[in-house]
Amino acid sequence: MAYGAEVVQLGEDVVGDIAQRHGAIGLIRLVADIAVRVPLEYLSEMRRDMRYAMRALIKSPGFALVGIISMGLGMGLTTNLFSSKWQSIFRELPAAANAERLVMPEKPVSYYSIEQYRDQKSLFSGVAAFQTGVPFNVTFQDNGNDKPQRVFGQLVSADYFSVLGVPSQIGRVLGAELDKSGDAPVVVISDRFWRNRLNSSPDVVGQTLRLNGQPATIVGVTPKGFNGALSINPAELFVPVTAPPALAPELANDVLHQRNAREFFAMMCLAPHVALESAEAALDAITRRLDEQDRFAPVRSDKDNGRRVTLLSAGTMVPLPRNVKSALIGFFVVLMGLIMTIACMNLANMLLARGANRRKELAVRLSIGASRFRLVRQMISEGILLSLLGGVAGFALAYGLSILRSKFTLPTAVPVEPESTLDWHAAIFVFALAIVGGVGFSLVPALRATKADLAPALKEGSALQLPGYRRFGLRNLLIVVQVAVSLMLLLITGFLVMGFNVVSSVQTKFDPHTMYLLSIDPARDGYAPDKAQALFERIPDQLKTAGTVRSVALAAQAPFSLEDEDEAKQWTAQESPGAPAVQQPVIREWVGAGYFAALSEPLLAGREFVELDQRDLDHPRLDQRNQPDGSKSLPVVLNESAARGFFGNGSAIGKPVRDDQRSYEVVGVVGDLKNGVGISQSLIYLPLTQRNFARPPADGMTIMVRSDVGTDVLSAIRHQIAVLDPNLNIFNVRTLSDHLELSRSFQRFAITTYSGIGLFGLVLAAIGLAGVTGYAVALRRKEIGIRMALGARKGQVLLLMLREATALVSAGTVLGFLGAFALAKILSRLTSIFVDALKVGTDDPRLLIGAPLLLAALALLACYVPARRAAKIDPMNALRQE
Amino acid sequence: MKKTDPQEFIPLKTQWFHIMLSLAGGEQHGYGIMQEVLTRTEGKVRLWPATLYGTIKRLIEAELIEESDVRPAPELDDARRRYYRLTPLGKRALSAECERLQELVRIIQKQVMVTQ
Repeated sequence: MAYGAEVVQLGEDVVGDIAQRHGAIGLIRLVADIAVRVPLEYLSEMRRDMRYAMRALIKSPGFALVGIISMGLGMGLTTNLFSSKWQSIFRELPAAANAERLVMPEKPVSYYSIEQYRDQKSLFSGVAAFQTGVPFNVTFQDNGNDKPQRVFGQLVSADYFSVLGVPSQIGRVLGAELDKSGDAPVVVISDRFWRNRLNSSPDVVGQTLRLNGQPATIVGVTPKGFNGALSINPAELFVPVTAPPALAPELANDVLHQRNAREFFAMMCLAPHVALESAEAALDAITRRLDEQDRFAPVRSDKDNGRRVTLLSAGTMVPLPRNVKSALIGFFVVLMGLIMTIACMNLANMLLARGANRRKELAVRLSIGASRFRLVRQMISEGILLSLLGGVAGFALAYGLSILRSKFTLPTAVPVEPESTLDWHAAIFVFALAIVGGVGFSLVPALRATKADLAPALKEGSALQLPGYRRFGLRNLLIVVQVAVSLMLLLITGFLVMGFNVVSSVQTKFDPHTMYLLSIDPARDGYAPDKAQALFERIPDQLKTAGTVRSVALAAQAPFSLEDEDEAKQWTAQESPGAPAVQQPVIREWVGAGYFAALSEPLLAGREFVELDQRDLDHPRLDQRNQPDGSKSLPVVLNESAARGFFGNGSAIGKPVRDDQRSYEVVGVVGDLKNGVGISQSLIYLPLTQRNFARPPADGMTIMVRSDVGTDVLSAIRHQIAVLDPNLNIFNVRTLSDHLELSRSFQRFAITTYSGIGLFGLVLAAIGLAGVTGYAVALRRKEIGIRMALGARKGQVLLLMLREATALVSAGTVLGFLGAFALAKILSRLTSIFVDALKVGTDDPRLLIGAPLLLAALALLACYVPARRAAKIDPMNALRQE
Repeated sequence: MKKTDPQEFIPLKTQWFHIMLSLAGGEQHGYGIMQEVLTRTEGKVRLWPATLYGTIKRLIEAELIEESDVRPAPELDDARRRYYRLTPLGKRALSAECERLQELVRIIQKQVMVTQ
């Protein structure tokens, strides 16, 4: 407001008078008058600025377009990051009233321990037990003879909902007083299940579903948006742990009373005024006491002397340990800041060049009385307008990315659903970002452009007194950094892309199109354990009668699947009682007879499993060690890496290996099957046992059927299985080739993301370089005129202008190379996923030469456009300046 | 777009009228306008500072008043103050408004006499 100073002055003048006449109320009115009127005045002036800014942008569409793209890219990526990561870290569980006080131990514990925790009334106002990612085969009563659908849910203790603070939307949720052991089975369904599978039927309460073949009555529906705790694996059904084992095989073997069955997560609601740290310390003490009482507790080595319990705050979508959380926050803030800084810096550079060209307009306005503040405000308005337009583009980009991501599903057994909705939070975020960014990139150029010596600027032809050009100025430094960072991104991306392409190719020894993978889960079709085993024993023979079937094998997991390293267990090999024991972490896979033959994988030594291995030797309670000195040990097959790790170059056949429970005998060694991540993990193959048959994993028991090339056996396979049992639910049907494709979609997704980031960096760097060159051209207009008048050719002028840019690009390239190699080293230390990919990628000459060439070409192109303007300068015009 | 016919400003907003009336006697600064309005209306109309200057700004935009470069004698002058005066357009608009109000008063008086 033009009268700001006078308003203040007048206010000072009248304040005494007003106090005298009107008292305190008058003073309040005085303050209110100023507080309300002044901003309103500013806003109305701002509107005019905006109109003017719009006209200025329309007049230079090229600049506007580049600005909008640049800001749009920056804000789109930042918003995408914000909505996908930030929100999944910070958004509280929907509908959970106690979200802020929820904590949970990192590792699953036994139900018995949870009951002990529950007694700590001074620490916790409630402790619930739950298992997540539990599959159910659901049959809808109304649908008559329809095939069951596989739906994922949670097994929860009756107080689960009261601990979370989740009410019901319809009917009731589970309750400790209402749901007791021995009651008729009940189930609470999620809002999503109700809408998608029951068509939001209003009289849903009291309806009966068949879960795993057993009837269960629907008693309630959870609120909208609630998908259970740990909702990254959304749950649609909530079944109380009081349900009979026939309904939920997870509850078999009296698991609620087995003190060593560590299969439940504890969800705890802290009592008021109890800090997470003190609860963790108290819980640690309790757990130590429980471990001492438990003769089956794993023997702790010395390094386990630290905390045995780590509490996570569990009221968010993804529970995270505190230190990880703060590190993640820092990482995302820095990343978002970096992206925005790069985008803003580029625009600032362009505005500097533009300010130099608008010098005269500004000088005229200053000399006829516009205040400097007024001009700065005008230029900042232009920045904000540009930034807001960029924000619209950015929001569109983020929206596109979120749609892209929602189409992409991770190949996991239990569905994973990242929270990625773009809602009003994100819109506000973009808006704030645009305002901050707009001011950020236009403030410095505006201040510089308006700090003018008026006399020369007003002269015709304008011998511009531009701020001095510094070779090592902040601006040039930024460009070098930008080129370096983009090259780093490009190289790292390239390393990963090429590396992944090489290592993720799984070489099967046969055509992967000829192998079908199907899953069944008879335990969830109502099979008792012994009946399930009988069924599995009959399947291979039955399927082999289907014409062109060559071989059939069973496995508890699909071949070439990506195993989580966290699943690795310590196994020990000791060749003779006196010899030193060798320990190494190994990943276990359970496979049936003829597995390696079906994969055409010859054994390097020994034999593979036969049907006899999966019979009689096992005991349903084997894993509970009711058989301390089993007369015969279970056979295992090692892969090459595991065999070498345990026995060096010696023979492994016949040697004993053991886990923390019992001893096994090595009967065979097989080559490392590349699983597509490219890491040679140590693997131990165990024979399928009754335990596997009675309780298949979340993605069911996999049947692998290999046929001859060019024959379609799928319908024959389905027919043969129907002969055994027409009601058996067959799911996850795909060829091995489809499976491999799917299991690598993670890498493909990563590659797309990295490529996108690399491209983003490249575009921004190019814009930045164009800005610098444009500025240099404006600065040396007169010099160019003189050179051309003295006979310099256009090409020579062009080269002169490009020389500056070339120096910057070269410096950036060198730094970028060094940075990329350093980063590759750090990355491969951080996570083993990258190790092999980076090893392959860093040796590829195409990338080492191609990336800098591409960057240099793009950078020079970006410089060429403004430099060409220099060559077009009319020497007469440029010289007629003074 | 600029209005040049004084009739287009009629009726004047109350605050506009008070400010312009204060300037009818000659140049005046913001504080002076405020005091004059206050005394003339016997304390009934107070123009609060930001409101006053907001109105002044709009009056200048409408070209009814302008900043004056005639300053009082140095010993009476405060260098920080800006002085304002009516433009010819402003004078015409003010007198048109005064006529309208007088007309209004006449009508009311006539009406009162009739009813009595």
